[in-house]
Amino acid sequence: MLLAATDYVRPASLQEAIDELGSRRGARVLAGGQSLINVLKHRAAAVELLVDVSRLQELRFIDVRADGSARIGAATTYGELERSPELRASHAIVADVAAGTVDRQVRARGTIGGNACFADPASNYPPLLVALGAEMEVAGRDGTRSVAAEDFFLGLWRTAVGPGEVLTAITLPALGGAGVGYRSLQIAADSWALARAAAWVAPGDPVTAARVVLGCVAATPVRASAAESKLVGGPRTAEAATAAGALSSEGLDPPSDVHATGGYRRAMAAVMAARALRDALGFGEEVVSNGR
Amino acid sequence: MAGEGGAVHAIEVTVNGQTHSTAVEARRLLVHFIRETLGLRGTHIGCDSGNCGACSVICDGRLIKSCMMLAVAADGCEIETIESIGEGADGLDPIQEAFREHHGVQCGYCTPGIVLNAKTLLAENPDPSEAEIRRALVGNICRCTGYVNIVRSIQAAAEALR
Repeated sequence: MLLAATDYVRPASLQEAIDELGSRRGARVLAGGQSLINVLKHRAAAVELLVDVSRLQELRFIDVRADGSARIGAATTYGELERSPELRASHAIVADVAAGTVDRQVRARGTIGGNACFADPASNYPPLLVALGAEMEVAGRDGTRSVAAEDFFLGLWRTAVGPGEVLTAITLPALGGAGVGYRSLQIAADSWALARAAAWVAPGDPVTAARVVLGCVAATPVRASAAESKLVGGPRTAEAATAAGALSSEGLDPPSDVHATGGYRRAMAAVMAARALRDALGFGEEVVSNGR
Repeated sequence: MAGEGGAVHAIEVTVNGQTHSTAVEARRLLVHFIRETLGLRGTHIGCDSGNCGACSVICDGRLIKSCMMLAVAADGCEIETIESIGEGADGLDPIQEAFREHHGVQCGYCTPGIVLNAKTLLAENPDPSEAEIRRALVGNICRCTGYVNIVRSIQAAAEALR
């Protein structure tokens, strides 16, 4: 397949990348390319200049700090996340999601920052990043700003990264005893999902704070505030998790497509939320799939 | 230099141990560079959309899909294609021998990608379980064999290589 003509540059530093991105309106960041190359094949976006950041060491690191927080370079690949013992110790759920992403080939090239910036409604990291309370660092000509993951995803394939900007790092706050869970209803092991739910529950009984975030049900990750309210102040029990999960997708109107009706997606999002919450509270059932 | 396809970029890529210094358009996919520029037709194009794995090659030691990478992005990289293996007496690699022995090939279209997948898998994990083999094959679609003989072939290759 022939791609439309485009230009390409592989800057040697983040500063050079920012200069290049600001040099032309049609400049886009190229990281692992595992989504963008297909976009280019379909000629779905006009790209005049690809700024390849995939080899920038400034964007490729996993820094787990003494306080248990983790700062991850945006161009870190799924494979690097999957194989990091430090990340497995601080945020195993993030490494597990990497390990279950598509296939070995995609994991060798695809990046966590690319996944977040592509911002497909079915992408795996966006709901989890919102649930974990991640902070996204966005760099541009005017410096670096920090955007909460919850404010980062703006719409279908749209994020807070503006023209001339690049996502540089993602900081995951320390879990500090919080429970987390992430469940997806997938068409096949490691494949596309019909519904996703991520849960984070602060330590303490009764529950003091919780985040429940759904994926695949709207253009962006959705905070399930009714489920969160139901949990907070209540006991840490499997029954409470199940009851809160059941409320999580009420009122949503997910799209229908060849894989599932909107109603099925909404129903399954609630099931995933209940399971993710049971995982977060320590009542999770074993996942029986894909040989892990 | 600028033409219809945009500026060309000088690259230096090592493919199967041989270094090629050449110039490519930014829009050229690595798979087309391998097949058309270098004439190495063992790397196949199945789906053109990153789903089937027929174009899998090894880039700096890791399996990738060459239709999902630009040739210009492979500048400075070391690529291994199916043509790089096969040092045995009959010109076959032990993995290829195992595929022949266990009928892991039917139409053969997916085979180069799957053999390279097996090569990288066995380098990382010399004694994979059946579940690990099947999971490693997720990105390589075979529409003939149902994978049973492919899995057997990889198990046999693992044994032969241990």
